[in-house]
Amino acid sequence: MSYLVMECHPGYAVLLDEEGRFLKAANLRYEIGQTVYDPVLMKDTPEKQRHTIRWISSGIAAIAACFLLLFGFSYYQNYMRPYSSIYLTINPEVRMDLNRQGTVVELTGTNEDGETLLEGYDGKGKDKVTVVDELLDRAIEMGFLSDGGRVSFSVDSPDETLFQEYGTELRTKVTEHLDGRITITIEIVDYKNGQSQEEPESSSSPNSSQTDTSQPESVSPSPPESSQPAVIPPTSSSTTDYNDTDYGPNNDGVTDYTPPASSTPPVDTDYGSGSDGVTDYTDGNTDYDPSNDSDDDSDNDGDSGYDGDDNDGDDADDD
Amino acid sequence: MNEEHKIVQHVYAAKEDIQAADRLIGTYMPFIKMETAKFLKRPPIEGHDDELSIAMIAFHEAIGGYSRTRGAFLKYAAMLIRNRLIDYSRREQRHSRVISLDAPAGEDDITLGDTLADERDPYEETSVRDATRAEIEELTRQMQEFGVSLSDVADNCPKQQRTLDACRKALQYAKENPELLDVLLQTKKLPIGQLTAGSGVERKTLERHRKYMVALLLIYTNGYEIIRGHLKQVMKGVAAR
Repeated sequence: MSYLVMECHPGYAVLLDEEGRFLKAANLRYEIGQTVYDPVLMKDTPEKQRHTIRWISSGIAAIAACFLLLFGFSYYQNYMRPYSSIYLTINPEVRMDLNRQGTVVELTGTNEDGETLLEGYDGKGKDKVTVVDELLDRAIEMGFLSDGGRVSFSVDSPDETLFQEYGTELRTKVTEHLDGRITITIEIVDYKNGQSQEEPESSSSPNSSQTDTSQPESVSPSPPESSQPAVIPPTSSSTTDYNDTDYGPNNDGVTDYTPPASSTPPVDTDYGSGSDGVTDYTDGNTDYDPSNDSDDDSDNDGDSGYDGDDNDGDDADDD
Repeated sequence: MNEEHKIVQHVYAAKEDIQAADRLIGTYMPFIKMETAKFLKRPPIEGHDDELSIAMIAFHEAIGGYSRTRGAFLKYAAMLIRNRLIDYSRREQRHSRVISLDAPAGEDDITLGDTLADERDPYEETSVRDATRAEIEELTRQMQEFGVSLSDVADNCPKQQRTLDACRKALQYAKENPELLDVLLQTKKLPIGQLTAGSGVERKTLERHRKYMVALLLIYTNGYEIIRGHLKQVMKGVAAR
């Protein structure tokens, strides 16, 4: 292709090519009218079109970035962020942080045995039930859990329905998992208010070796209308009250401080909760006054009011 | 800051006015030389080093391409100069194994070029060049009547092959109807309406390349045989279609 030099400027030359294009090129000591063959053409200045392409591409990139951010955030919210926690207590205590989907995002041993239990175990990304089952297997293997043992799940969740759901799921699944191997007591507790979840069904396996009559509260089916285990008043002293405790998560809210009425007769005391409101100070039946009734202390008739081994609190019948 | 502002004003003026652009290049010649020297690692010799010409057209390009959003003009120009020089040196690399005609041949004070048989006739060449120059100068003068310079035409020239073909089509129609060329010469106006109707080229295309069309049509009026001879390809392309 030959070019005809049309115009010369200090900075550039205008060339005409054979196809009728007028072009600017580097003026390599050209003269007007000269024919040149290998000029250094000026590159096109960036066109407007390029800008629109850049705008469009940058816009698409921005939108894509926004979507990524949004999806990333929702993914994080759903899958990465701990949403609820389950505290598994056998003797080893293990905290499982769960995301919204109920998948374990973090496992921590909260006591030494818990750390031992978790050693070499990776439960991240597994479902909570799987993790619980595997942890229980490990606990059995390591000797932390044996037949008749007790497992407590303390569920820390932001809302009540999730607690109920997790509790039911854990109870049924763990029972299923351990069915036929060992029998244990499963306890579901709300982490925040210490209330234990009602048991929708017996956690015991059908062989009923575990439904010991000595532990009626923990294993027998509770009345479904109460959220607390029903208190069965002990009718005989042979019944142990081990599980009817007023302390800790098993607190049924009913204090059993007053001993059963049948064991000892009530004392006529003027102090405390047993006060009958009748004081016996002015009944004249005193041994200190000048108006001491003639029966002296020499023959103590037990009416002194001091020793109350048979004091029925009603001195009037002595007068 | 203030200095920079003045440059920006000059650059924006140079975008519109070719003389201003030439003046600006003249003013900043030391800067262009300095940038070239940075690249060559030696001061460039005016009229000898192609690199200096490359740097100058890069500066010219920078004037055209600069906008305030691109930051300081001189930095932009320096970047463009450097890039163009790199492009040029890469282009020239393929000739690196070729011996220069200016290389000395033998012991005498003659160069390799002098030992070759000269097929060209320098006298004829000079006369042809002079004739061409006369034609071009006449064309430039005539174009000035239309308020169009060759630099404008170069800026206005179609870049897409499709647009170029469309312009050629219009030109072909004008060539077949010489009265249109007379109308152009008499009224000093481009008969766009007739060209559009006759050639079927879109009016917008012609309007956008009005200056280019003026130059092309003028070349195909009387005279300008040498330029037309150079442009033989233009009509060949249309005839082939």
